[in-house]
Amino acid sequence: MTSRPQYDVDARTRPGSGFFGLTFLLAPALTVILLLFGGGLVLGVVQALGYIPGAGQGELSWVHFTGVITDPDFLYSFGLTLYVACVSTCIAAALSIVAALILVSLQSRWIHFIFQIPLTVPHLVVAVAVVFLLAPAGWFSRAAVAIGLIQGTTDFPLLINDNWGLGIILVYVWKEIPFITLMILAVLRHSGEELLDVGRTLKAGAWQRFRHITLPTIFPALGAASLIVFAYTFGAFEVPYLLGRTYPMTLPVWAYKQYSDIDLLARPEGIATGIVIALVITAAVIGAQMLTKAARRRGIVL
Amino acid sequence: MKRSLAGFTGVIVICAVGIPFVPLCLWSFARRWFYPDLYPQAFGLRAWTYITSTAGTQVLTAIGHSVVVAAVTALLAVVIAVPAGRALGLYAFKGKDAVSILLTLPVIVPPLCVAMGLHLWFIRLGLAETLGGVIGVHLTFCLPYAIFVLWGVFSNYNPDFEDQARSLGASRLTVLTRIMLPMILPGISVAALFAFLLSWSQYLSTLIIGGGRLMTLPILLFALMGSGDRPVAAAVSLVFVAPALVVLLFSARYLGTRSLVGVR
Amino acid sequence: MGDLKLQNVTIAYGPRMIIQGLSLAVHDGEMVSLLGPSGAGKTTILKAISGLLKPDGGDILIDGRSVTDLAPENRDAVMVFQKPLLFPFMNVAQNIGFGLRMLRFTKSETRRRVARILALTRLEGLEFRKVHELSGGQQQRAALARALVLEPSILLLDEPLSNLDANLRQRMRDLIQSIQTETRMTMVFVTHDQSEALMISHRVALLLDGRLRQVGTPRQLFYEPIDPDVARFFGGRNFFQGRVENGLLRSDLGVFPVGRQDGNGHLRMATIRPEDIEIAPLGKSANGGLTGRIVKTNFEGSAIRHVVTTTAGELMVLTTQDRFAPGQEVALTVSPDKIRLFPKS
Repeated sequence: MTSRPQYDVDARTRPGSGFFGLTFLLAPALTVILLLFGGGLVLGVVQALGYIPGAGQGELSWVHFTGVITDPDFLYSFGLTLYVACVSTCIAAALSIVAALILVSLQSRWIHFIFQIPLTVPHLVVAVAVVFLLAPAGWFSRAAVAIGLIQGTTDFPLLINDNWGLGIILVYVWKEIPFITLMILAVLRHSGEELLDVGRTLKAGAWQRFRHITLPTIFPALGAASLIVFAYTFGAFEVPYLLGRTYPMTLPVWAYKQYSDIDLLARPEGIATGIVIALVITAAVIGAQMLTKAARRRGIVL
Repeated sequence: MKRSLAGFTGVIVICAVGIPFVPLCLWSFARRWFYPDLYPQAFGLRAWTYITSTAGTQVLTAIGHSVVVAAVTALLAVVIAVPAGRALGLYAFKGKDAVSILLTLPVIVPPLCVAMGLHLWFIRLGLAETLGGVIGVHLTFCLPYAIFVLWGVFSNYNPDFEDQARSLGASRLTVLTRIMLPMILPGISVAALFAFLLSWSQYLSTLIIGGGRLMTLPILLFALMGSGDRPVAAAVSLVFVAPALVVLLFSARYLGTRSLVGVR
Repeated sequence: MGDLKLQNVTIAYGPRMIIQGLSLAVHDGEMVSLLGPSGAGKTTILKAISGLLKPDGGDILIDGRSVTDLAPENRDAVMVFQKPLLFPFMNVAQNIGFGLRMLRFTKSETRRRVARILALTRLEGLEFRKVHELSGGQQQRAALARALVLEPSILLLDEPLSNLDANLRQRMRDLIQSIQTETRMTMVFVTHDQSEALMISHRVALLLDGRLRQVGTPRQLFYEPIDPDVARFFGGRNFFQGRVENGLLRSDLGVFPVGRQDGNGHLRMATIRPEDIEIAPLGKSANGGLTGRIVKTNFEGSAIRHVVTTTAGELMVLTTQDRFAPGQEVALTVSPDKIRLFPKS
C-alpha cells in the first residue's frame, strides 16, 4: 500500500489475541471509519445517482454522471487537473532525488532541520505568499522595476491565475519536495552507504552506481511518495481556488462550484464530479501497484 | 570542496524555505506600501492590533474554532488509534489486508468527496454548522493517518516488556499506564501532531460542513484575500502558520530528526 | 599479477591512530591472513588496499605501481565484505554478473563466466532466486562468487565466515582454499580466529593495537612467537624469566640447556606451552623435577586443562590424560627443546 511504512513481519506478530480482544481494539476505529468515511462515500454515490430524499427525487439514474462527463468543460478541467498534478509531481520528484543525494552526502543537521519546515506549513499560507510574491504588483515585479527590467505591472509576466498554472505548480513543488526528499533520505541513510561501497569495489563508476544501485534502492520510496503527491495534488482544492484562473478550473474547484451553486439541481453534479475525482485517484493508485508488481515479476531491475 | 558545497546548499535552502515568509512579515507590519517600492514606506501595527482587539473578534473566533477543532480531532484520533495500532502492529489475523485497504482509502481519497456526501446527513442530524460536525469530517482522514503512525510504532514495540511486568505482579491497568504508554509516547506525540496539523490546515471540508458559517483560520484567510486587505491577511497567515512551526521545533527537540517523515 | 606492498601505511580517524606505520609485502599467488582481535584495524587495512579508504600516510603498491590515487573502481583488487550485501533488487545471477556488466562485458561472455562461477561455488540452480530466498551460507557464497567472477589480481576477504555456523564455516573455508590453490589468486584474508588463520594461510600477519607484531608462516608464528603477546594470542601461557649463562637457562622452573646465546648473564623471557608440560602423579620420578598441586581443572572434551601451583608460580598444563583431580600433588616435566626463548627486546 502507498503510505504504509515498511514493517518487520517477525516472530513478534502473534496470531490473533483471541477474537474478543482484537475486536475490542479495532472496533472503535473501524466503526468510525466505516460510519464516517464509508457512510460519506456511500451517501455521496447515492446522491450522485439521483436519490435526494425530500427534494422529490427518488429514483436512481446515471443522469448526473453522464451530465458531468459529457459536459464540454469536463474535459478541459480534467486535462488541466491532470497536467498540474503530473507536472508538479515530476518536478518535485526529480528535484527531490538531487536534494536527497546532496543531503546524504552533507549530513548537516541544520540544513536537514530547515528542510523540514515546509512540511508543516499549510498549503494555503504558501499560496498566499505566492500571491504576494508573484502577482503583477507583487514583490518580484517590484524588484524587476527596481533593476530596470520592466516599467510597470502590465509588463510583468502572468505567473498566477495564468494559463499554465505556474503559481499552483510552484506552491506544490515548494511543499512536496521536502516530503519526497525525506522519504528518500530515510532509505538512503539506512542502506545506501554500504551498497555503494560494494558497487565501487565491483568496478562501478559514479554514474553507474547512481543508475544501478542508488536509483533502484530509492525507487520504492520515491514511487510511493510520488504517488501520494500525485493523489493529493489531483484532488486538492484551496491552492487552485486561490491561484487558478476562473476558467478552466481544476476538477475539485469545479466540483465545489457545482455543489455550492444556487441551483440546487447542480448539487448532485458536484457530488458526481467528486466521485469521479475519487475514482481517478483510486485507479491511478491501483494502476501503479499493478505496474510495480508486474515489473517485479518480470525481474525488471530499474 | 565539501564545505563550500555545504555552505552553498545551506544558502539556497534557507532562501528557498524562507522566501515565502518575507512578504508575509513585511505586509503584516506595513502601514503604507505602494507599488513599486521594495519595502513598506511606513510600518505599523494596525494589522496586529486589529487581530487582537475587539474589532477583530472574527479573528479571535476563528483562532478559537481552529484550535478547538484541531485539538479535539487530534485527541479523538489518538485515543481511537492507539488500540487499533496495537492490534495491527502486534497481531497477524485474517482480514488484516482488508483492514489495511480500508485504512488507506480515506488517505488517498480527497476530503471533498467525503465532505459533500456527509453534508446532507449531517444536516439531518443537526451536525451541520457545528464544531462537532466539522470534527467528525476531519476525523475521517485524521484517524487513518494516526492509525498508520501507531501501527508503525507498535510494529517496533516489544510486548515482552509487558509480560515481564505482569510476571513481576503488575495489574493490567498498571501495565498499560506505566509500561506501554511511556514506551509509545513519542509515537503518540507524532500521531497527535500529525492529526492536529491535518485538521488545522483543512479548508474545503470545513467550508462544506460548516456551511461558511463556522469560521476557522483558513476560511477567514480566504475571505481576507478576497477583500484585498493585505496586511491583515498577512498577519492572519502568520498566526495560521505559527502552531506548525511550534510543532516542528517540538518534534525536532524531543522526537528526533526522523519523526516528521511522512507529514505533508 | 597480484603483487601487493604496503609501505609505512598510517590511518587515523580524527585524533585516533588506527594503523601506524604498517609495512607488509604480499607476494603474487599467496594467501595471507590478517589476524588480530576485533577492532584491531584489520578491516581498515583492507578498505585502504581496496581504495574505499585513503591512508593518511604511506603508500600502497600493486605490481610495483602506487595506487593511492586510484579509485576503487580502477584498482585490480576486489573486496568481499563481512555481510554478504547482495543487491536486494536483483536476483542471484544479476548480482554475480554485476561487476562484469559494469566493465561492459558482452552479454554472452557475462553469461558464460557467471555460469562457470556458479558451478565453482556450487550455486547452480539458484540463478533466478531472489536474495531473501537464500540461506546465510548461500548468500555468502554468492557474495564470494560476485567477486571471484571478476578474476581480480587481489581478492580481499573481510571476515567472510564469522556470521556462519561452525559446519558451514568449515565448508566455506575449504572452498576458498581450493579456489586459491586452483587459481593462484593473491588473497588477503582477515580473521580474528587464530586457528582459521593457521589453517588456510601461506603466511600470517598478526596485528595487535594497530601494529604488525609478526609476519611468518603458520608454524613460525605458533612455534617461534616473537614476544609474549604473540604467544598469548596463539594460546601460549607459562611465561617465566631466567638468566642465560654458557648455554644454560637458569630459572625457577629449573636449569635447561638452550644452546649458545648472545649476551651472557642477561635476563630473558621464556615460555612453555601448556600442552608441552608433562604431568605425572607425584612419586613416579624422584629426580628433583618440578612438583606442584592442582588448584583448578577444566574438562574441555578433547583435552583437560589444569592450573598447577608450584614453587615457580602457577603453571597451566594441558593434557589428554584424564586421571588428575584438583588438590592432587603432581610432578611436572619440562623438556628443554620445548622451551621457547624470546629474542632479547
